[in-house]
Amino acid sequence: MDLKDIKAIIDLMKKNSITEFELEEKDSKLRLKRGLNGGAPVPQAVEDSNPLMPMPVQMAAPMLGGAPAAPAPNTGEIDIKSPMIGTFYRSPSPEAGPYLDVGSEVGPETVACIIEAMKVMNEIKAEVKGVVTQVLVENGKPVEFGQPLFKVRPS
Amino acid sequence: MFEKVLVANRGEIAVRIIRACKELNIRTVAVYSEIDANSMHVQMADEAICIGKAASSESYLRIDRIISAAEVADVDAIHPGYGFLSENAHFAEVCESCNIKFIGPSPQAMNALSDKAVSRALAKKAGVETPPGSEGTVDNEKEALATAKKIGYPVMIKAVAGGGGRGMRIAHNDISLVKGFHTARTEAEKAFGNAGVYIEKFIENPHHIEIQILADTKGKIIHLGERDCSIQRRNQKLIEESPSPLLENKFRKLRDKIGKAAIRIAEAARYTNAGTVEFIVDDAGNFFFLEVNKRIQVEHPVTEEVTGIDLVRAQIEIAMGEPLRISQSDVVMKGHAIECRINAEDPFDDFRPSPGRIEMYYQPGGRGVRMETHAYAGYTIPPTYDSMIGKLIVTGKDRRDAIDRMNRALNEYLITGVKTTISFQQAIMQDPNFRRGVYSTNFVEQLLGGARRELIEEKT
Repeated sequence: MDLKDIKAIIDLMKKNSITEFELEEKDSKLRLKRGLNGGAPVPQAVEDSNPLMPMPVQMAAPMLGGAPAAPAPNTGEIDIKSPMIGTFYRSPSPEAGPYLDVGSEVGPETVACIIEAMKVMNEIKAEVKGVVTQVLVENGKPVEFGQPLFKVRPS
Repeated sequence: MFEKVLVANRGEIAVRIIRACKELNIRTVAVYSEIDANSMHVQMADEAICIGKAASSESYLRIDRIISAAEVADVDAIHPGYGFLSENAHFAEVCESCNIKFIGPSPQAMNALSDKAVSRALAKKAGVETPPGSEGTVDNEKEALATAKKIGYPVMIKAVAGGGGRGMRIAHNDISLVKGFHTARTEAEKAFGNAGVYIEKFIENPHHIEIQILADTKGKIIHLGERDCSIQRRNQKLIEESPSPLLENKFRKLRDKIGKAAIRIAEAARYTNAGTVEFIVDDAGNFFFLEVNKRIQVEHPVTEEVTGIDLVRAQIEIAMGEPLRISQSDVVMKGHAIECRINAEDPFDDFRPSPGRIEMYYQPGGRGVRMETHAYAGYTIPPTYDSMIGKLIVTGKDRRDAIDRMNRALNEYLITGVKTTISFQQAIMQDPNFRRGVYSTNFVEQLLGGARRELIEEKT
């Protein structure tokens, strides 16, 4: 991928009001974000419902408390998000120490955690460079797709 | 007894399944893509798990993620709805191997009816007539021409792996046949990953009549009468009704014959759970087998209203191993039901999809009116899935009564913010031929060609 392609993609994003674009190819990965909010992309949220028709049914608590987050305050932090559904483990084995703690340095290839699905332990890479500022999920808890796992201050 | 069921679908059918589970005291788990976070099925379910980005290939079609969600939520069974993975034998197998009950037919039954060519062969063995056509797939131009010559034009070129009305072309002569043959193969490869096509005689003025069947795990199979789904646009159903005006007015004895044929086919495939056997009926009352839909169908409410049987509940009970409590003689069709599909499309702009935010929403009600929808005021219809936002089902003591009630209900229906096909459905309800019950699958084309625009009022 060369600069010309990237410029073309940026133009397309501007023209179609796309705020985030991610492309993964065999040997490269490109992620572009535009706009003021550096946080998680905001899915369509229902603002004020028509006063005549109140939103029917109380919101069922999404199972894992990981409903798509409201826009994060612009602290410049990045979320490491879960790419799959499963059980979150902070360490490679019950006896070992956690992969990451607050203050840990991470790089793109750093293993951040394990997510177990169907008896397979999947190592999840951080994919960012920086320092962990928050651990968002408890060890052994289930996680869903897109759920933020760690907050990282990028360096 | 199931304690928890995961609904592997979205939209109105997910809402339908969740309601059936609630009535059986079964806890529900919804799965959703990021863009569906505010969808009705997510709000209604007891638990909800995000399984991926908006694209179906990244979410509702991801077997691995759905199974992971099922495991994490510790469910007993999965209901696949319609579309998506509902007729995916591999998905049914994966469920089985993970000790999760798949609410639908067994993988073996699905494989026995795996594609249209295989199903035709099975029907023939069961002694049911199929439209004259090729034995299995047609693999080259020469074969195509020979088959067409044998059965006579016009013919239909159909993708064996097609479904939902897609992957079909008509040819009226050798030239269009050759062109259509190659195009159909290319399109089939792209859309279904399988270039296989077969050729069938095209029956003029065909009536699409389908039979609802229920089969338990003890070998008992019953049919619940027919639905007439001839009102279609580009092979997509718009209106369905039960009983069929064709059978009621002209061929009363056919219901029993077609019903028995449907059961024979289901027996040959060792079918279990709910299914629909589709037939084409010509103007002389000859009927021909088309295919089996191995799932609950969009238009199932129409059968529920005239027979009084809850089909989704029956699916769940059959999956739990319960035997069918009713026999064929218990099935009685009473009254008349019509369903109008409501799509977020602009009928004045070639039915272009119209996603976006629904501003005002007031759905019809009153006696004999049933709405199946996930829509609500303030809901944003995403552009990533099909355009159907709901189904309006109306029941009357006879067909005339049902049509008048449907008119009344469509008139009450208010949706602003997006374009819908409500006005188009109204035009059909007021069409003299539809009201007489005299129509076949070219009805909509003829109606649009005649452009009775003065009957179609735009609602603002």
